[in-house]
Amino acid sequence: MRCRQPGHTPLLLLALILLFVSTDVCVAQSEPDPAGSLMADTARVTVAPPTSVIVTDHKYDNGDALELSWVPSIDDRIPGGKVVRYQVYRSVNEGEYLPIQELLPGSNFFLDESLHRDSVYSYYVTAYSRNDSAMSVATAPVSPQREWLHVDRAWLFVIALIISLAVFYFIRAARKGEDLFIRKIAGLEAVDEAIGRATEMGRPILYIPGILDMDDVQTLAAITILGRVARTVADYEIQVRMPVSRSLVMTAARETIKTAYQTAGRPDSYSDDMVQYVTDEQFGYVAAVDGIMVREKPATVFLLGAFFAESLILAETGNSINAIQIAGTARPAQLPFFIAACDFTLIGEELFAASAYLSGEPKQLGSLKGQDVGKFIAMVVIIIGVIAATLAQAWEVPFMQQVYDALTFVFSTQ
Amino acid sequence: MRREVPLAITFFVGTLLIISVFLPPAEGLGEDFTVFFDIIAVFAFFLGGGNLVRVHLTKLSRRKEDWPYSIVTLLGFALMLVVGLFKLGNPGGIAASPTTDGSYFQSIFDSVLLPLGATMYSLLAFFVASASYRAFRAKNREATILLVAAFIILLGRTPFGMALTGFIPEQFDLFQVPNLAVWIMNFPNLAGQRAIMIGIGLGVVSMSLRLILGIERTYLGGDER
Amino acid sequence: MEHLAVWIAALLTLGIISFLYKDNAWYKLSEAIFVGISAGYWFVVLFWDNVHGKFWTGVFPPEQYDAAGNVITEAPDYMLWVGAALGILMLMRLIPKIGWISRWPLAFIVGSTSGLYLINYFSSNMMRQVQGTIMPLFGMWPTDPTTGETVFQALPTYDIVGNVVILVGVFSGLVYFFFSKEHRGVFGATAKVGIFFLMVTFGASFGYTVMSRMSLLIGRVDFLFGTWLGLIK
Repeated sequence: MRCRQPGHTPLLLLALILLFVSTDVCVAQSEPDPAGSLMADTARVTVAPPTSVIVTDHKYDNGDALELSWVPSIDDRIPGGKVVRYQVYRSVNEGEYLPIQELLPGSNFFLDESLHRDSVYSYYVTAYSRNDSAMSVATAPVSPQREWLHVDRAWLFVIALIISLAVFYFIRAARKGEDLFIRKIAGLEAVDEAIGRATEMGRPILYIPGILDMDDVQTLAAITILGRVARTVADYEIQVRMPVSRSLVMTAARETIKTAYQTAGRPDSYSDDMVQYVTDEQFGYVAAVDGIMVREKPATVFLLGAFFAESLILAETGNSINAIQIAGTARPAQLPFFIAACDFTLIGEELFAASAYLSGEPKQLGSLKGQDVGKFIAMVVIIIGVIAATLAQAWEVPFMQQVYDALTFVFSTQ
Repeated sequence: MRREVPLAITFFVGTLLIISVFLPPAEGLGEDFTVFFDIIAVFAFFLGGGNLVRVHLTKLSRRKEDWPYSIVTLLGFALMLVVGLFKLGNPGGIAASPTTDGSYFQSIFDSVLLPLGATMYSLLAFFVASASYRAFRAKNREATILLVAAFIILLGRTPFGMALTGFIPEQFDLFQVPNLAVWIMNFPNLAGQRAIMIGIGLGVVSMSLRLILGIERTYLGGDER
Repeated sequence: MEHLAVWIAALLTLGIISFLYKDNAWYKLSEAIFVGISAGYWFVVLFWDNVHGKFWTGVFPPEQYDAAGNVITEAPDYMLWVGAALGILMLMRLIPKIGWISRWPLAFIVGSTSGLYLINYFSSNMMRQVQGTIMPLFGMWPTDPTTGETVFQALPTYDIVGNVVILVGVFSGLVYFFFSKEHRGVFGATAKVGIFFLMVTFGASFGYTVMSRMSLLIGRVDFLFGTWLGLIK
């Protein structure tokens, strides 16, 4: 028998090794040298595309928005990442994809608004490097949905309803003749006395309803209080001067005072000139009111409503003519000036309660008790919440964390 | 009839807007109604502007006290109306905004209204001083607390505060005026602001309900007394 | 022209400041100019913004074209006619016989303001403030982001005292505003604590704004002595 020749396998092996080595060398030689080559700047900077592009309906709207989210490209690391921007593309009703929004590197979310409920939309997101780009996979076509109820505001509705029901309950109780106790509020007890002073001195009353228009709740409060004050003024037959800063307020005030005089049985004593429009300009109005104060020297000045920086100017000028001043506003920043310069100040809530208080009507007073229910709820919730939070956080008492979370969730607002 | 229809309007509009907060399809209503308000306000301005003109013309014709100044007011009013409505001297012509820089309208605003407003605003410096002086002389406890707190906050924002109490050692550095000022702003001040705000929130709910339900109706025509 | 503008501004500035001494002709003149010109200013701005900008362009939208030349004019908003109708009803006030109909737009506005802000104020002023006041007094168990563990972190004394102060302040402040009980006994004492906190709040606001008021005056002095008289450079 003849033997195989022993030299073949090693040679084959050597040939294979030489083949690999020579290929490596060839590849190494054909790769351009990044350090020295003049062609380095135009090399393609490849990027990976964004992934997991998801489109979902934007909640609790009228079917006009969609939310787009994605995982940023793996090449998007700030700083030093290759991605310079993202571009969102959208196709409407399976039409052409058009760019709609450019976003910065690091973005992973986009809210597309002003859409139509009846159309279908699909999206893709493209990551751009300096000179290259990569598209994500497109999403399936989706239509925005309309939600009929703001479910996330459910608790707001519940709490507001509870307090409103409390208001209704006390109004009904008042109608039935139940005695409702309301404590005395100094500033409001002084109204009659202040008007009486004007009668004694034979000087007019000045009523300033703030400088905002009828679309502000404080102005509404001022107009409702005017109704009460005007009634007393009509009875005493004194002069009212009411310069206003807004035309609508002028109309509302005239209506209010006119009917107060009619109800008092003195329709002929009323004159439209009691209420005069000055100017919409904040400080122009103040300049004019200051002028009225020093020239006509009213005995009583009411500063009720929305005021800004001019609060102190008006109050101090009123002080300089020794008028008795009753002020009230719901702007916390202006309250200190009224407190410092006026005889009586209605603080925040007291301004909104004033008209009900002055009317003395049981139905109106009932609404004040409803406000108290709200304050009571606030106090109770705060105490329970703080105790629960402290026990949960400091001593890990079981169940307290759930109480704390529940209370914070219920009182969170959208 | 004359009172029922307005009350019904108030009730309907108020209820609609409250409900619209909770119904997404009705969310645009709030904005629509704000635009209605703006339009109504401009119509009302004809009444207000008309009143301004009438009052000053009456003063003028009857030679009431200070009647010459009424001429100035009327002239100023007329000037701005002519210059603004016809956009006189406006670089952009009739299509541009009336407040374009270089228009006569804007120039008058810059040279007349701006300095007048700024000066009125600056009067506050004097009035703050006079109010503080009077509060300083007040004998009651509340005014004293107000003044002490005001003083600490004021000093805390100036270099004097640090200079006055810089000697206090580090363990008690809360009592250094600037730190004390910060503490007052962040804690007791915040507490007071919150209490006031909660009260206001409830007060607005109560007053709005009274108006919408027609319990409060003085603005319309008196009550049932 | 600019020189004239500076002089006018300076004279008006001095006219207003003269009020601090006493009411005088110079102030009366400045006031008359202020009222007349500002009333005219606002009428013009409101006219162009609201009547033209909101109403006219909403009801008769101007023609618009996109880049390709297609017409993309917005549809007219017929709802705006409601606003105009209400506005015209308001003007009926000028006619005594049917003046009562101007109560309708007034009723609309009252209902609108009340309805728009009821939930708004309730949410931001009541709900949000209550939520902000619910907090642990002594410590927290925050989660460490790297390890995922929760480690107890006691609050520094500064914060504990501060949180207790906030709790006491909000509670006693609310007690002060309570309408249904007379301020007597324990209730009255709590209300007194409440008014103490309110006074501190007012004092803090007062002190905070004093500096900014002073700087306004400095601004005017700078204008008078610097820009007008050229004494300060």
